Amino acid sequence: MADIRLVNVSKHFGQVRVIENVSMTIGSGEFMVFLGPSGCGKSTLLRMIAGLEDIDGGEIHIGDRRVDELPPAERGVAMVFQNYALYPHMTVRENMSFGLQNIRTPKQEIAKRVAAAAKTLELEHLIDRKPGQLSGGQRQRVAIGRAIVRDPKAFLFDEPLSNLDAGLRARTRIEFAQLHQRLKTTMIFVTHDQIEAMTLADRIVVMNNRKIEQIGTPMEIYSRPASRFVAAFVGSPSMNFLAVQQLSDRDGKAVVRLPDNSEILTGIASSRLPSDGQVTFGIRPESVKVSANGAVSGKADVVERLGERTLAYVRLSDNSVVIAEDEGQSRINVGDQVKLDFDGASSHLFDVRDVAYSAG
Amino acid sequence: MSATDTATDVPLPARKKRFNRNEVLAALIFVLPFVVVYAVLFIYPTLQMIWLSFHKAPLIGPGTFIGLDNYAKLFKDKLFGVAFWNTVYFVVLTVVPATLTALAIAIGVNRLKGWMQSLILACFFIPYILPVSVVFRVWGWMFDSQFGVLQPLIALVAGDNVPVFRTLPLFMPTVAFITVWWTIGFNILLFIAGLRNISPEIYEAAALDGTSKWRQFTRITWPLIWPVTVLVLTIQLIAQFKIFDQVYLFGNGGRSDATMGLVQLIYRSAFQKNNGGYGATVAVVLFLIIVVFSVLQFQMLRARGEK
Repeated sequence: MADIRLVNVSKHFGQVRVIENVSMTIGSGEFMVFLGPSGCGKSTLLRMIAGLEDIDGGEIHIGDRRVDELPPAERGVAMVFQNYALYPHMTVRENMSFGLQNIRTPKQEIAKRVAAAAKTLELEHLIDRKPGQLSGGQRQRVAIGRAIVRDPKAFLFDEPLSNLDAGLRARTRIEFAQLHQRLKTTMIFVTHDQIEAMTLADRIVVMNNRKIEQIGTPMEIYSRPASRFVAAFVGSPSMNFLAVQQLSDRDGKAVVRLPDNSEILTGIASSRLPSDGQVTFGIRPESVKVSANGAVSGKADVVERLGERTLAYVRLSDNSVVIAEDEGQSRINVGDQVKLDFDGASSHLFDVRDVAYSAG
Repeated sequence: MSATDTATDVPLPARKKRFNRNEVLAALIFVLPFVVVYAVLFIYPTLQMIWLSFHKAPLIGPGTFIGLDNYAKLFKDKLFGVAFWNTVYFVVLTVVPATLTALAIAIGVNRLKGWMQSLILACFFIPYILPVSVVFRVWGWMFDSQFGVLQPLIALVAGDNVPVFRTLPLFMPTVAFITVWWTIGFNILLFIAGLRNISPEIYEAAALDGTSKWRQFTRITWPLIWPVTVLVLTIQLIAQFKIFDQVYLFGNGGRSDATMGLVQLIYRSAFQKNNGGYGATVAVVLFLIIVVFSVLQFQMLRARGEK
C-alpha cells in the first residue's frame, strides 16, 4: 500500500499535447477514479503511472520512490486492462503464476497465492481452462486475479467494466467495491461512466481536454461542480442549463430572470459573481419538481416513467426545455400543461469562462 | 436422417427450414464453377496420371497395361534413389532454415516504425518477385568461377577460386541458400501478419509482469506465432519437395544425374525419354510423399501447439 504523487506531469505525441501539467496526490489505500469522455487523457495518465507510456515532463512518485524512470515491473503496480490482455495460450493458473515465475518466486509460494486468489474470485473450478473457454466476466476475474497475486502497492484499472453487459457490469461494480474494502490497497480506476465513478470512488478526478477539471469526493463533484463541463458530465439525466435574461440581487443572493420572464432566487451570494452579469443558470432535474404551485409553466414534450420517479421534458414558452422530476405514479401525460417549482437554493450559475458558482 | 429422428427437442418446421430448396439451389450455383474447374483440371488429370502409371506408354498415345511393373522398376532404379535423397536433402537444407530466418527477420522488421519498416520489408520482399531466370543469372554471375564478385571471398577461405555449381558437395547447399534468399520475402510477410495479430496489450501485461525479453519470446511470442509457423513450414515443405527450376538451371551442363531432384526425374522420363508411364509413376510417388509429409507435419505441429 502506498500513495501516488504526480507533479506537473505532461506528455505529448508529436505536436499534440495529451497531458498538460497534471499534479495530484492519491492517498494510500484510496480508491481514486479518473472520469472523463473519450480522448480526455485519463487512460494515458493511468498508463504513465503504470510505466507503459513515458512522460515528457514532471515526476511520478509511488510511496517514497520516484518511479518515472523505472520500467513497469519495478514500480510495484498491477494493472487490469480493458480487454483483459490475458495470455490466450495459458491456463487461468498459468496466467496468474506467470508474473511470479518471472521474479523467481518459490513454487509453493506461487501455488499458495494463486489458490488464495482463485478462492477469493471464485475461479477454482476454472483454474485449468484457457481464456478462450471463459465468459467475459470470468476473464475479467482472471485479470483481477493476475493482479492480486502480485500483491502490488497499487492497482490500476483501465475501463475494466466496459466490455461487460449491463447486468454483469452492475454486479462486478459491487465486487470492485468489496475488493477494495477487503484489500484496502490504493486503486486507480479509469472510466467514462459517471455511475461507476460515483459509486466506487473515494475521490473522483474529472478530466476533460487533457486537463483536470476537478478533484473531489463524489458528492462534492455532484453538488458543487467546479465547471460547466463537470456539472453537465456528472449526473444522469444531465443538469438543465438555461440562459439568464437578467441578473439581480435580493438580500445579497443572486436572482435570475429566465427567458420566459420567471424569476428564481438562487442561494448564491451576488458578491461572488462576475461583474459583467453574464451567467448561465444550471439546475439538476431533481431540483425541479412538477407542482401545482410552481411559478414556471410549460408543456410536457416527453414523459419517462422510471418506476420510482417520472421525468418530464417540459418545453417553456421560450422553447427551452427543462427536465423536471415527478413522483413515480405521476399523472402527467405528453402534451399536458404543467407547472414547475425550481429549488433555487440548490441551483448553480456559470460565467462565460464556464466557471461554476454554487450556493453556500 | 437419424439426426432428425433423434433430435426430438427441435421442432420439425425449424429443421425443414434449414434445407430450404432455394438456398440449396443458390449454394449449388455458387460452388458449381469451382467444382467443374477442379474436376476437369485436377481430379481428372490426377486419375489419368495414376492410371498411366500402370502402363508402359509414351507421353501421348496408347500404351500397354503392365500392372505394378513401373513401381517395381522404380524401387530398383538407382537414379530414383539419387533423386529422392537429393530432394530430401534439399528440403532439409531449406525448410527449417528458411522458416527460422524469416521469423527472426520478421521480428526485427516488426520493431521498426513507419517508412523505415516499409523500406526494409520491401528490400526483403523484392527477390520474391524475381523470375527464376533472373535469380539464376544474378547468382550465376556472382558465383562465376572466373569473374564472380563473390570469388575473392571464396578464395580467401578456400585458397583459390571455386566453381561452386560444379563442385558436388557445394551444389545443393548453395542452391538451397539461393532459394531461401529468393523465397523468404513471402514467409516474412506471413510472420509479420502473425506478429501484428498479437495484441500490444499482451506485451504490456507482460511488461508489468516483469518478463525478460528472452522469456517474452519463448513464453509469449513463440507460442502465439506457432500457428503461423506451422503454416509457413507446411507451405515450405510442399514447395521444396517440388524443387525443379533452380536445380535444373544451376546444374545444367554439369553432372545432372548427381544433382537431379524428383521433379527433374519426372521431366526427364516423360519429356526427354518419352516414357510417360514411368514419369507418371515417379509423379504419383512424389504426390504421395508430399501428401503424407505435409499432412503428418501439419497434424503433429498443430497438436504440439494445442498441448
